[in-house]
Amino acid sequence: MELWGVQIIGVLLAILLSPFYVGIAQTVKARMQGRRGPSLWLGYYVLKKLWGKETTAPEYSSWIFQVAPTVSLSALTVIALFIPWGGRVPASWPHDALTVFFLLALERFWVGLAGLDAAGTFGGLGASRIATLGSGIEPAMFAVFGLLWYLTGGTVITPIMPQWWAHPLHMLPWGLAVLGYALVAIAELGRLPADNPDTHLELTMMHEATILEYNGRLLAQSQAAVAIKFTSIIALGWVWLGPNLASPWLNLLLRLIELTLSSMFLGVIESLVVKLRYFRLSTYLGIAMGMGMLAVYLVAFQGGK
Amino acid sequence: MLIIILVAIGIGISLLAAKPKTSKRLTLIFSAILVMVAILALWMPRSLAVNGPYFELNPLRDWFLLILGIVSTAATWFRFGYLQHDEQATSFWLPLFLVSMLGVISANDVWLFMTAWELMSITSFFLVIVHHDRPGVLNAGYIYLVMSQLSAMLILSGLLLMATSLHSTSFAVFAASAHMLAPGIKDFVFALLGLGFAIKSGIVPFHIWLPRAHPIAPAPVSGLMSGAMIKLGVFGVTQFLLMDLGKTSVIWPFLLLVFGAVSSLLGVLYALMEHDLKRLLAFHSIENIGIIFLGLGVMGLGIDWHRPLLEAMGMIAALFHTMNHAIFKSQLFLVAGAVEQHTGTLDADRLGGLIRTIPGITIGFLAGSMAISALPPFNGFVSEWITFRGLLNVVSGSLGWWTVFGLVLVLVLAMTGALAGMCFVKASGVIFLGEPREPVSHTRLPRSMTWPIMMMALLCLVLGIDPYLAIRAITSIQPGLILNESPQLVPVHAMQTGFLLLLLIIVVGWLSRFWKVRKVPRWSCGRVPDATMQFTSASFTKSVRTTLAVIYRPHRNLDRIGTYANYFPERLLYKGGTSPIWERYLYQPGYRLVWRLSQYSTKLQAGPVRLYLLYLLGTIGILLLLLH
Repeated sequence: MELWGVQIIGVLLAILLSPFYVGIAQTVKARMQGRRGPSLWLGYYVLKKLWGKETTAPEYSSWIFQVAPTVSLSALTVIALFIPWGGRVPASWPHDALTVFFLLALERFWVGLAGLDAAGTFGGLGASRIATLGSGIEPAMFAVFGLLWYLTGGTVITPIMPQWWAHPLHMLPWGLAVLGYALVAIAELGRLPADNPDTHLELTMMHEATILEYNGRLLAQSQAAVAIKFTSIIALGWVWLGPNLASPWLNLLLRLIELTLSSMFLGVIESLVVKLRYFRLSTYLGIAMGMGMLAVYLVAFQGGK
Repeated sequence: MLIIILVAIGIGISLLAAKPKTSKRLTLIFSAILVMVAILALWMPRSLAVNGPYFELNPLRDWFLLILGIVSTAATWFRFGYLQHDEQATSFWLPLFLVSMLGVISANDVWLFMTAWELMSITSFFLVIVHHDRPGVLNAGYIYLVMSQLSAMLILSGLLLMATSLHSTSFAVFAASAHMLAPGIKDFVFALLGLGFAIKSGIVPFHIWLPRAHPIAPAPVSGLMSGAMIKLGVFGVTQFLLMDLGKTSVIWPFLLLVFGAVSSLLGVLYALMEHDLKRLLAFHSIENIGIIFLGLGVMGLGIDWHRPLLEAMGMIAALFHTMNHAIFKSQLFLVAGAVEQHTGTLDADRLGGLIRTIPGITIGFLAGSMAISALPPFNGFVSEWITFRGLLNVVSGSLGWWTVFGLVLVLVLAMTGALAGMCFVKASGVIFLGEPREPVSHTRLPRSMTWPIMMMALLCLVLGIDPYLAIRAITSIQPGLILNESPQLVPVHAMQTGFLLLLLIIVVGWLSRFWKVRKVPRWSCGRVPDATMQFTSASFTKSVRTTLAVIYRPHRNLDRIGTYANYFPERLLYKGGTSPIWERYLYQPGYRLVWRLSQYSTKLQAGPVRLYLLYLLGTIGILLLLLH
């Protein structure tokens, strides 16, 4: 019963607080650049404003364009539901990492369709770039999670920190997995250096290009989806790579602190690095993939489980 | 007895080809009977027992019979509205084709099996070349015929080798005692049969017939070939090589995995570059057969390593994906047929915006696209999930190089899945969404074309939400495996995922009132918007082509036409493309080698009769000398 409570509260907090965490990253970035930056609550205000506006759609678009944000938002909400916010979930509740990846692919698929449905140049451009990037992100994600597959023998999101504790030799693979996951997560979230969330320049934009034609309630859903992805993907990494305590309630509290720290960290990173050239991203994701594979090989050839 | 009656009925239907309408109806009824028989045999095995010396049905064969029945029901139903083919010729060959596949599945003897197999090759050849008056059709048909004969000869020699070693041609004997064969003979059998079945299923690099034969065949035939016929290669591998032979050298499952991985990745990579919808789908068949072979390889490893859990996972993954691929691939081929009839072309870069003229068909294509891209809540998601799970068990259950190998396979499969998603965003986006790129005809389509596609889409959804319907049937194939524990064996949570997703979509969609929109012109940076500003199938995949130029070796050619062409070209002619890796490294060098060898042989075979008389004389002389 306790686990159910933690999971429900955790999901609710993850969804409700997601614009706030995105706001933290933006504020830290602004402070690093010597600006005051917007209010932390700007995300909520934008969502409220967009929800009240009239919605328009390009003339050649169809129902696909109108449904796509709903599908993205739903897919990401399901991901948020499947993440064990307290470190553990009730036995019957699915918390499978493979399903999470497939749901991310579902979101990418619909964002791409909507981009092409808008019948403009930008939509197609964004869809093409997102799909290409996705075909690198997906194997990189699988590689980084290799340590989880290898150590637990399953696909369930479980903390592997205790195993690392038992074998000090696993520290290096663990470090590689953490770095690899950070790289992939940044690409998946569309943050710098993979994609710039603030840009409106056609040379550089990816996710922004696919939602260029959106406004009103449809745009609000897209924005909410991006925010939920932000908290879910970051928390996913912390759950299986980070420390976990005995009490699920404390774990949930820990998640919230970790999310704050990660958002601040992202803000700092975004002030320090520039966006990579689009064709360099394959190298970037290749490095992440290599780290994940190396982590598994190190453990596999040590023979330790 | 039942099978003999069915075969006789099928042959009878083909003789009615002069009356296409009656023939179509009867073929549909025949297909429905096949489904019925398979369902009875699978879920109520006591009510129906077929086991004689010539024909036998067991759960594995029932499963493939069910696949055949479902695909042929949809394909024959679709023929009622499909007018793009020679009806009489198709009505004659199609029932024979179905009967031959039924024979391959249920034969219990080498001779019957090979007769049915050859009949299947020949009838499908005639179905492929139904439009033999069109340019290039006969050429592609011959390549198909040669490849299928090659595969048939390899299979025949493999089966005869087994038969001579076991002193029987009966498959019942094979099943009972083939696992006791000497390891050397097992290796030989595996090599011969494996190669033969791989050619028939279209594994890279033996797949060259597949992208040639599918686009020229009528759509229902393509659907049947891709949905049912190439699956019989999978059937052969499962029945003879994995279940009959039992434990073999571990090199063979290893090869299955390697060929599966190569096929899946290269298949999807070349599918991405296709602009013709049917060729694109043909390359996706290669990809999916690769995924099925990955499952078969996992099953083989499980047998060799004595790990029943791995074996069960591999078998469920392979056989479930076989069924799923049969459903959504035939569905997509039928959509291709409908698009061809609707617009008169299959070139993606000439189409666009079909969602407004054929909305029902578009929904069918979208459902099929999501299923083949392994997206929840459709069936492809479940079977690809189980394939991943099987491969991950190879990763986690072994040490050293096997872990490395398993992880590489997982990454290949992950990349394949993502690229397949991209390819189907491209196909559905460019063909069905956006603004029409060129004015094409919009012929009205009859209802009978939409219904079979919708039926298949519904099946995709049902199997994606409750996969245990199918998984339970598969676990009955090998009763020695863990039964009744399928939810624990493959904890895919497809039902929770599917229901949560659909529920959220309905709730959020209703809250957002997504249907209330005002249509405005699209953003075009101040220019007058037109259809050419959209991304095409070529530009959509440009970045993949650039990133993976090592594999594709893209070539492009830009011609400027006009008086002052260098500065003010009046017209630009752009030609670009990619060169297939197998032709560059395998078929072209092979062709050159054969050509060079043939030049040597011309010295011996120069033509004059005198020379041949000399050869004859010399041979007789040598023989006399030897015999003396």
